Amino acid sequence: MIARNALAKGLPPILACVGLLVIWQVASLLLKNESFPTAWDAVRAIPSILADRDTLINFAASLRRMAIGFGLAVVISIPLGLLMGRSRAVASFFNPLLMVIYPVPKAALMPIIMLWLGVGDVAKTLVIFLGVSLPVIYHSFEGAKGVEEKMLWSGAAMGLSAPRRLVRIVLPAALPEVLTGCRTGLVLALITMITSEMIARQSGMGNILFNALDMGQYDTVFAMIIIVGAMGIGLDTLFEQLRARLVRWSEPQFDLPLSFS
Amino acid sequence: MALVRLDGKLDRAVNLTPATSCYTRLGQEKRMNVMRSRSDGQVEAALARKAATAIIEIDHVSQIFKTSTGEDHLALSDISLAIEDGAFVSILGPSGCGKSTLLYIVGGFVPPTQGLAKIKGGAITGPGPDRGPVFQEFALFPWKSVLGNVMYGPRQQGMKYAEAEARSRELIEMVGLKGFEHFYPKELSGGMKQRVALARTLAYHPEVLLMDEPFGALDAHTRTRLQNDLLNIWERDRKTVLFVTHSVEEAVFLSDKVVMMTHSPGRIRQIVNIDLPRPRRRTELLLDPRYQKYVVEIERMFDDDSTSETQP
Repeated sequence: MIARNALAKGLPPILACVGLLVIWQVASLLLKNESFPTAWDAVRAIPSILADRDTLINFAASLRRMAIGFGLAVVISIPLGLLMGRSRAVASFFNPLLMVIYPVPKAALMPIIMLWLGVGDVAKTLVIFLGVSLPVIYHSFEGAKGVEEKMLWSGAAMGLSAPRRLVRIVLPAALPEVLTGCRTGLVLALITMITSEMIARQSGMGNILFNALDMGQYDTVFAMIIIVGAMGIGLDTLFEQLRARLVRWSEPQFDLPLSFS
Repeated sequence: MALVRLDGKLDRAVNLTPATSCYTRLGQEKRMNVMRSRSDGQVEAALARKAATAIIEIDHVSQIFKTSTGEDHLALSDISLAIEDGAFVSILGPSGCGKSTLLYIVGGFVPPTQGLAKIKGGAITGPGPDRGPVFQEFALFPWKSVLGNVMYGPRQQGMKYAEAEARSRELIEMVGLKGFEHFYPKELSGGMKQRVALARTLAYHPEVLLMDEPFGALDAHTRTRLQNDLLNIWERDRKTVLFVTHSVEEAVFLSDKVVMMTHSPGRIRQIVNIDLPRPRRRTELLLDPRYQKYVVEIERMFDDDSTSETQP
């Protein structure tokens, strides 16, 4: 029963992926363009990419930058956003600053950052950090702002000090919203990671992609796009599972522990 | 002799001879020592309190809010009120008369614009575990189970896990939710949520319960059941209760004293002592002419106010 449900759930996305590959294959065969390899050629290129040691080192470097940038952003942005949501003074101090940074594409800052910090890890990690920070701050802010005043009063009556209320009431109460921000942030981390490597071409997945393009290895280009896409889907799925587990109490379709069936 | 008296079973005998009783003197000395370890000012205040037996004093409290247009709105005007230890006192008035604000001032959640609220002679400067609120909105912690919610206060007060759990399970049973310990607030009905909120507040032993229209969001049937259960629970230890409501029947049924408030600015209209026997049973009370008289009298007073208010 459970297995059949899982199968039924997993089937539509698989069908969609297969459908996309079929359309790609047909389109490519019809167009007969050198820069548009067939889906089959692209998929066939994947194993040799993943078997190459240098490539894997590049992948690892990319993922490391992404993890550090994302981690730092989350650790700094959640407390900042929560504080902004609960303190008018903190909010009015940081709001103008964030409003200026918000609409600027973070990749557009890359040239300046490269000028100051070089083309290495620091510059790229910083860009990822900036990209992730804003959605996490915004959602933490909104989450903290929405916490019911009476809930905080109840905590205060139990003897919780203001800093403890922030950690033990505002944070858990705002967690569903905070994690929504983190989920957006995770995808943005992947995007800014690839973008930064395409601009500051020195190492990483974005660099491999552009190198392949320069050398006319179009099946590698498309294979890399598939790999990056799959990575995005994988990370998002993992995070979503973690999120669902952490905020099970807030899900609308919460399963009743009592069952009469 | 002193030993016998200290046993505590002879409370009544002690009360008969208070001047000579070792028990009384010893108790007083002990209390005085505790007080001295705080400050001399508080000792005097505490002694003054003892004479009056008021646990809560509201002393010329006024509250002014800024409206959205920037004007000052006088929500409470010069309220003075003393609440005796162990009394069930209702604050009754139309919505917007500032009765909840008065409760929040006693809770220490809102500082008064003017005047002072005191508990046991000491000025109220903020919330504290001696005053336990129960809100109309329940304000449960949604990420905690029923048991987790009730245990929260005792754990915060430093009680050991096992002890807090045992106490919480007892309270959960007392409010009639045995078997629901591991449910989350989301899965409970409004009446059940308010039962959890009551247990959660009782769990950390507040001396005063501050109830802010606690049954206002519930349907009539649930409301009646919770009123009965609240009285049964209250009969056990007779904590001081300050109960805000806009229902005349509710106020008369539950209270020793009903503080009637007028609308805009909020003033005390009249204080009515409800002299009905306890323990009270709703079905008997409804037939009791004294109960009916209280209800009708209070409603008439409100009616008179509203007709006179139509003239500007």
